[in-house]
Amino acid sequence: MSTNSEFHFADPISVVHFLKRVVPFNELENITLRKIAGRIILDFFPRGARILEQGVSEVKYVYFIQKGGVRIETDDPAEGLQLKDMREETDYFGILSIISGGKSIFDVTAIEDTFCYLLDRDTFMDLIRERPNFAAHLWERLSRDSIGQVYEQIRSEKLRPRAEDGLRLFNAPIKDVIKRSIETILAADSIQKAAGKMSQDKIGSLLVVDTTGEVVGIITDNDLRNKVVAKGVDPSVSVGSIMSAPVKTISEESICFDALVEMMHSQTHHLAVSGPNGITGVISAHDIMVDQGDSPISLYREIVAQKMIEGLYPLSRKMPFIVRSLILEGAKANDVTRMISILNDHIVSRVIYLLDQELGPAPYPFCWLTMGSEGRREQTFKTDQDNALIYETPPEGWDYVKDAKLYFRRFGNIAIKHLAACGYPLCKGEIMASNPKWRKPYAVWRNYFDNWMNAPEPQAVLHATIFFDFRGGYGEKSLAEKLRDYIVNQAPNRGIFLMHLARDCISTKSPLSFFKNFLVEKDGKYKNRLDLKTRGLVPFVDFARVLALRHGLRQTNTLDRIATLGEHSFIPNELYSETREAYEFQMQIRLVHQLRMIEEGKQPDNYIDPSELTDREKHTLKDAFEVINRIQGYLKNEFRVLE
Amino acid sequence: MKKLLEWLGFNRHELIKNNRRYFKTFDKDKPFDEYEYVVLDTELTGLDPRNSEVVSIGAVRVKNLRIMIGGSFFCYARPSKPLPKNSTLIHRITPQQIEKAPPLEDSLPKFIEYCHGAVLVGHFLKIDLTFLGKACRKNFGATLGNTWLDTLKLSQSLEDYKRRHTYSDDPVEQSFNLNKLAIKYNLPLFEKHDALEDAIQTAYLFIYLAHKLRMTGCVTLRDLLISQSNAILPSDQGYSTA
Repeated sequence: MSTNSEFHFADPISVVHFLKRVVPFNELENITLRKIAGRIILDFFPRGARILEQGVSEVKYVYFIQKGGVRIETDDPAEGLQLKDMREETDYFGILSIISGGKSIFDVTAIEDTFCYLLDRDTFMDLIRERPNFAAHLWERLSRDSIGQVYEQIRSEKLRPRAEDGLRLFNAPIKDVIKRSIETILAADSIQKAAGKMSQDKIGSLLVVDTTGEVVGIITDNDLRNKVVAKGVDPSVSVGSIMSAPVKTISEESICFDALVEMMHSQTHHLAVSGPNGITGVISAHDIMVDQGDSPISLYREIVAQKMIEGLYPLSRKMPFIVRSLILEGAKANDVTRMISILNDHIVSRVIYLLDQELGPAPYPFCWLTMGSEGRREQTFKTDQDNALIYETPPEGWDYVKDAKLYFRRFGNIAIKHLAACGYPLCKGEIMASNPKWRKPYAVWRNYFDNWMNAPEPQAVLHATIFFDFRGGYGEKSLAEKLRDYIVNQAPNRGIFLMHLARDCISTKSPLSFFKNFLVEKDGKYKNRLDLKTRGLVPFVDFARVLALRHGLRQTNTLDRIATLGEHSFIPNELYSETREAYEFQMQIRLVHQLRMIEEGKQPDNYIDPSELTDREKHTLKDAFEVINRIQGYLKNEFRVLE
Repeated sequence: MKKLLEWLGFNRHELIKNNRRYFKTFDKDKPFDEYEYVVLDTELTGLDPRNSEVVSIGAVRVKNLRIMIGGSFFCYARPSKPLPKNSTLIHRITPQQIEKAPPLEDSLPKFIEYCHGAVLVGHFLKIDLTFLGKACRKNFGATLGNTWLDTLKLSQSLEDYKRRHTYSDDPVEQSFNLNKLAIKYNLPLFEKHDALEDAIQTAYLFIYLAHKLRMTGCVTLRDLLISQSNAILPSDQGYSTA
């Protein structure tokens, strides 16, 4: 085939125009750009397509995104899949992999239908060799580690530091955080003496002073471990021989953040704090973290350390701070809601455990059940209590039954009050363990579910949305598992019940108008706002539930359900990936919205104002809503729902 | 004598003979991404095959379902009659631009060569093929034998599938105009309207449709041919050469 006739354009002008918008390729002169353009190939990746696979794909091209967007992730055995970056139009990827030898160092997935210009490796490498200046600029850009754009945008624009009581990490002066007076030891004293003092006072460091009282160094528990124990140094030698000197100091007026930076910089965990009259104390990374109180771990420790139920009351109020710090660190909504659920689980479990201790042994093994969003591990902030209690079926005979009824009535009522005091509002529908109806032995629970699955009335469908997502909390979890076994076994055969669930899911229309505008509330308190939960998220939750029941899955978490459905090819691959993305994105939007409301001192709700979204968020949200039509279409077909 | 032979079809051009021989035994059952395609667009002086002519051809090859943007084909062709004024308004080709261009029969062999072995693709391709075929028959004794796909029909087929498989109140799509489809599918848009830009725009549409149709179960070239023949063209095609 001839390719050299005068009829062939070597430089499609559209490619040249495109490259002129790509930094630093825009530095290249026209003739070079035209040469490159002549080698360009265009490829298309449907949304959800894996473009490059970490460690597997041979990277033969530099990919320039002409339209669409991709997600860049690394899969680390230790840390799992981690979002590294999002790239969109005029961004590129693949260069680092080419430089580092060929195999892709990332997973790259199209998050929208994506068109990429491909520049072959050889042409690109020639360019690098021939243009040292261009290469230098390219390296500079590549080394600037940019963070995911959509999430970054949400983090930076939506979560401005709070004015007065912003993150303590950023504005608390060190002098507010150091609590102890300074503890010192003489340089001539033995290591043994130092270790004894540290363990007695439960402190992690001592300042080392000479005979005049001048601070000459510091000794820390790390020094004891690394320099003494590990190396078998004789503990009778002097502290002076193993101390770190000179000691790094920081002004007591500095903010904690600076202290952390200094610690990371000098690779130490302790800094001496200096005031106007010399050293006033020592600050450790641990002190800052504890003061911060925003780490999930610190809250967890606080929860499990409580010996009195009342001590748990204030703890759930710390949740927003933890969520905030997680979001700032770049956690995805699903991870955040799981974290919230885990921490809530711990609070609830601790309440029930302490109550169990207080009331004395239960007559029959029981299990605390969590329902609804808590059952699905999808809690955001302050969700109503949805709970119940299941216990082992007592033997026949009124006395046995009475024992159980009396004990669990007391148990349920007290537990609910404690949980309300912990900040979990009572459920208006009375779906709580204080309601005798939802405090039953296994046999009764099994009958409940059996009836719901047999005679699907509107009430049954409502119950399905709450009860079928149950999960065992504190107690004898095998009771909950047994109940789940029964449902997993039965539900797939209850066609009419499933069909009703599917119909219920289909009845919620996607909140997009015919012209693809958001459908918002027309009047009332939430005028011009969009109910993201009912209109946006619920259809996905319902979709995952009905299919999970149909295919006998045990999972209750929506994303887990969708993932399992996808893995077993119960739903088409494309539907799986778009469902997952659409759901995750909405969760993220909702979480940030609620966090903002809390920070503004309002009660968090699910009503978002589309006009407050960025264009990109609007666009992505519309895409997410369009998925609702597809999942409903799928259900309609799958369950032969007639309208 | 020579003219008589031509008229009887004895004197078919070697290129056309090769072309027709190749496609006579063309295997249509391989996965469709293994074929090479030439996506083309022509600019015409009008729509009446009896007295309108091709004034330019733009085409781009698609290999592995990727557009080989660098290796495109473009030519102007001087028509035998002066350009009518209204066609100038449509595709912005001025009489000056084609004054010095060779007549179509000079460029045609190169184009036939360019299309060698490839499945032809175009948007409402029937029109382009009518005119190109006419020119080929006149100059080389026969029309092109290439297997061809029409993106208009393929998009129709995709829409049919979506309607059958989703729950949607969207009305039946009325317009299958190239630009409107590009907007609907959120494809990169090309503003310029010469035959090459339109061919590239069509190529984007084609690879988009090919990927999407693959998700509906199309695997081989024959599957694509079947799905396009099953597509029902709406009564108002909304098609214009613009």
